[in-house]
Amino acid sequence: MSALSIEFAGSRYRFAGLNPEQDGLVRSRFQPLLRRDEAKPDVRIDIHFNPNSAAFMRRPLGAVEYPVAVVHGDESIAVAGIGFTANVDRNPFRVQMQTCQSDEWFSAAFENVFRIVACYRLFGEGALVMHSAAFNDGARGFLFCGRSGAGKTTICGLADELELEILSDELNAIRPAGGSFELLAMPFAGEFGGAPRRHPPYPVTGLLGLSQGSAPSVSLCSKAEAVSRIVASCPYVNADPWLVDRLTSRAEELVECLPLRVLTFAKDTRFWSVLDNEYPEPATAVSR
Amino acid sequence: MSTQSQQQRYRVDPHARFRVMDDEGIFVLQEAGEVLVVNEVGAFIVQQLQAERSVDEVVMAITDRYAVDQDRARADARSLLDALLEAGAISQT
Repeated sequence: MSALSIEFAGSRYRFAGLNPEQDGLVRSRFQPLLRRDEAKPDVRIDIHFNPNSAAFMRRPLGAVEYPVAVVHGDESIAVAGIGFTANVDRNPFRVQMQTCQSDEWFSAAFENVFRIVACYRLFGEGALVMHSAAFNDGARGFLFCGRSGAGKTTICGLADELELEILSDELNAIRPAGGSFELLAMPFAGEFGGAPRRHPPYPVTGLLGLSQGSAPSVSLCSKAEAVSRIVASCPYVNADPWLVDRLTSRAEELVECLPLRVLTFAKDTRFWSVLDNEYPEPATAVSR
Repeated sequence: MSTQSQQQRYRVDPHARFRVMDDEGIFVLQEAGEVLVVNEVGAFIVQQLQAERSVDEVVMAITDRYAVDQDRARADARSLLDALLEAGAISQT
C-alpha cells in the first residue's frame, strides 16, 4: 500500500492505503499537484480496499452519470456511490473511504470523494467553492457562478478563443484576502481546465452570474438574488444543515464587498468588450 | 376559501432556512440545495408566518401595510403560500 500527497488552493491532502493500481491512476490524474516532501497534511484520507463488491452499490453495465448520495450528520458526512462509500468526520476533519475498485471506476469514485472533501476543507478555511467558470487575463480574474446549464462551459469556450487563461469550467473557489478576494483554482473541471497545474491565487475583479441572450450586457442584481445565486452554486455545503447558515452569511458578506453582476451573453466573443468596459481596474472589491 | 383554510397557519419548513436581505427574502432549501427569492411583499408574508399568524391575520396585515384590498391580498397570499408549499419552503403547522 502506498500514500501520496496532493496540494492545491493552499491545502494539502494525503491519501493513504492505495494499492498499486489505484496509486497509478491517481498519480497520472493529479501529477502536477503531487508533493513529494513529508510536510504535515491538512487533511488525511485513508483508503481501504475491500474486494467484496457485494458490499457496495453495483456497477451498471455501461457508462452512467448519477448523483452521489450524501447524508449529513452532526458528527460526519456519509457518502456513497458506485463501488465506494466514504465517511467524512467533521472534527477533527478526516476521511475514510472504502472501495472495491482499482480501475477507471476507482478514478471516478476518487474524484467524487475528493471534490466533496475539498469543498468542505476550503469552506472550513473561509472560502466558498462554487459551481462556476473562472478565467483571468493576467491582471483581472473573473468568476461566473451558476449551476448546470447556466453557460459555464460556453463562456469558457469563448474565453479560450480569446486566449484567456481558464481555471475551470466547473468548480472554483473564492476566499477573502486582505480586504479583497482571491480566486483559487481547483483541479476539477469539465471540458476546460481539467488538466491540473499549479496556479497562484488570482485577484477577483468580477463576480458574475450568467444569462444567455442575444446581445452582451452586464446588470446589477438585488442582494437577495446575488446571495441566492451564490448559495445555490455552492455544492454539498448548501445542503448541509450544519453549515447552511454560515454559508448564507458568508455569501452575504461577499456580495457586500464584491457586488454580483449578471452577464448576459450570446455565443460569441462580444461579451469580452462589455466586461473589459465594466471592470477597467484589476480589483474592484471594497474593503469593509 | 373555507373558514378552516383562512385560519390555517404555516411555518418555515424545518428543512428550509429563511432570511430577509434588504427588502427581499431568500429561502435555502437544504435537502435540494435550492434557493428561492421572494419579493418585498413575499418577505413580509413569510415574516407574518414566522410570527405564527393565521392566513386571515396575514391578509389583514397585508391590507394594513399595503394599498391593496382584501380580495387581492388574499389571492396574492394564497398564490405565494401554494408556491412555497409546493417548493417545500413552508409547511402546515
